[in-house]
Amino acid sequence: MLNTFQQQRHPALPTASHDDNARQEFSKSLKQFVQDQLLPGLAPVYQRRAKKFAAEHGREPKDRREVRKFMIGDPYFQSYASTNRVAQELLWESVIPSIQRQQPSLNEAATKLSAKNNAELMIDAEMEVPRYISGIDIHCMPGGYAGSASEQDVSTALLYDRGVYLYAMGYMGPMNDDLGRSVCNYIRRNLPGLKPLRILDMGCTVGHSTLPYKEFFPEAEVIGIDVAGPQVRYAHARAGGLGMDVSFQQRDASDTDFEAESFDLVVSHILLHETSNKAMPAIFKECHRLLKPGGVMIHADLPPFDRCDLFSEFILDNETHYNNEPFWGPMRDVDQIQLAIDAGFEKSNISMDTAPMASMELAAAAAAGYDPESASEVAQREFEAGEFAPGGGWEVLIGHKKASS
Amino acid sequence: MTDMRRYPKGSRPQFFDDPAMDQAMSMIMVLASEVSVLRDRLDTFERLSEAGKGPSQADIEQFVPDEQCLGAREAARQDFFQRLYFVANKRAQENAEADTRDRYQSVLNHTQEK
Repeated sequence: MLNTFQQQRHPALPTASHDDNARQEFSKSLKQFVQDQLLPGLAPVYQRRAKKFAAEHGREPKDRREVRKFMIGDPYFQSYASTNRVAQELLWESVIPSIQRQQPSLNEAATKLSAKNNAELMIDAEMEVPRYISGIDIHCMPGGYAGSASEQDVSTALLYDRGVYLYAMGYMGPMNDDLGRSVCNYIRRNLPGLKPLRILDMGCTVGHSTLPYKEFFPEAEVIGIDVAGPQVRYAHARAGGLGMDVSFQQRDASDTDFEAESFDLVVSHILLHETSNKAMPAIFKECHRLLKPGGVMIHADLPPFDRCDLFSEFILDNETHYNNEPFWGPMRDVDQIQLAIDAGFEKSNISMDTAPMASMELAAAAAAGYDPESASEVAQREFEAGEFAPGGGWEVLIGHKKASS
Repeated sequence: MTDMRRYPKGSRPQFFDDPAMDQAMSMIMVLASEVSVLRDRLDTFERLSEAGKGPSQADIEQFVPDEQCLGAREAARQDFFQRLYFVANKRAQENAEADTRDRYQSVLNHTQEK
């Protein structure tokens, strides 16, 4: 499949010059090449080296750490991994100039668009950003999630909005909203009785996954929270530009300060792997505290390692070492079901499932590159480690809070 | 206006045995990116010319590629990568076929047998 996916323009995004666009397309194409061409070439390398390991040690490698040791010296692996890293660096490099050139007008535009969003914007200037976010710039994005030059500056959020589209190579749909859409679709199909009136999206960044909830549940009050001020401010503006009344608030998912039992649905999308071993249990506990009796918690992320083979585990874990994703690998070792039990959910009310990718089903005709043919190819493909999305779906952890007796 | 950060916080990993190779790899890919940018710009120029529009710099900036153009450019980039990664692809082929220098030597030996 030739990937010609194009992001749908919306009022908060910067305008790119001809050459900015060409550089951005190059970085997206390079990522696609790494995935389609270089990655499959690693399997024979692994098989050969694993066989050698087994002959030398009299046993199979036991974990991804042992695999790492015998893989990182291989010239083909070095070529693959260094190219992947360079593609990530080129991606941000290709977007920064378009934001830098228009920075004052983009910040002003964000303020104006924000005024069109009738739901609350709450910024907590005193908030201390957790070290798992501020310690290193996640995804190698210069400035990080929370970096900001001034109170009004949303440059890092603009960078995230455009950069994540390129990172996902368009597979998250023209609005980058596939995760939110997929979970909404999953709810509609599998939890038809759930009619949430108050919905919380934790770790929402620019609100790309949050907005589908307002679309699917127009009567509901939808709130997105994030620890990063610029992301929250921009998310509010982005929603305003798209004509959506969705609240965005700067709060920490592990300690939100919201009233207990005040939400019907609490969700997160690829949040958990950006937190830490200490924050994750606290977030689960907070979800349980915030849910009304009978309410539902859903966390969508990539698959845990016990669902992968050792080679896939090793490939996925490269993000931990090479893409400034300190918790990417460790999160996949966490027993999420046990965490949910420890947070107060009953074992019989917790499950893991796959939510099919929705954007591809819908194949929005509004942006170039998306058509029914490419959509069905994506929806039907098998999971391959190293790909951004696990084949046709996302892993979801679902916890129902016991209804009051 | 404030300068945005260009470099992420967090030490950059070393992939090759010689760190100079890491730097060279980045430089080669940046140059490859610029070649691709120039190619797209020339393509825009040709498409506008064929359509009888200018092209002035402003025409080029305002050009919006259609589906056919996006597909042609993507195909050209993937083709470019195939050529750029000739040695990596060659290694992948040898790995897949379990071919080695030892086998090469054995053929040499065979041809030189008297």
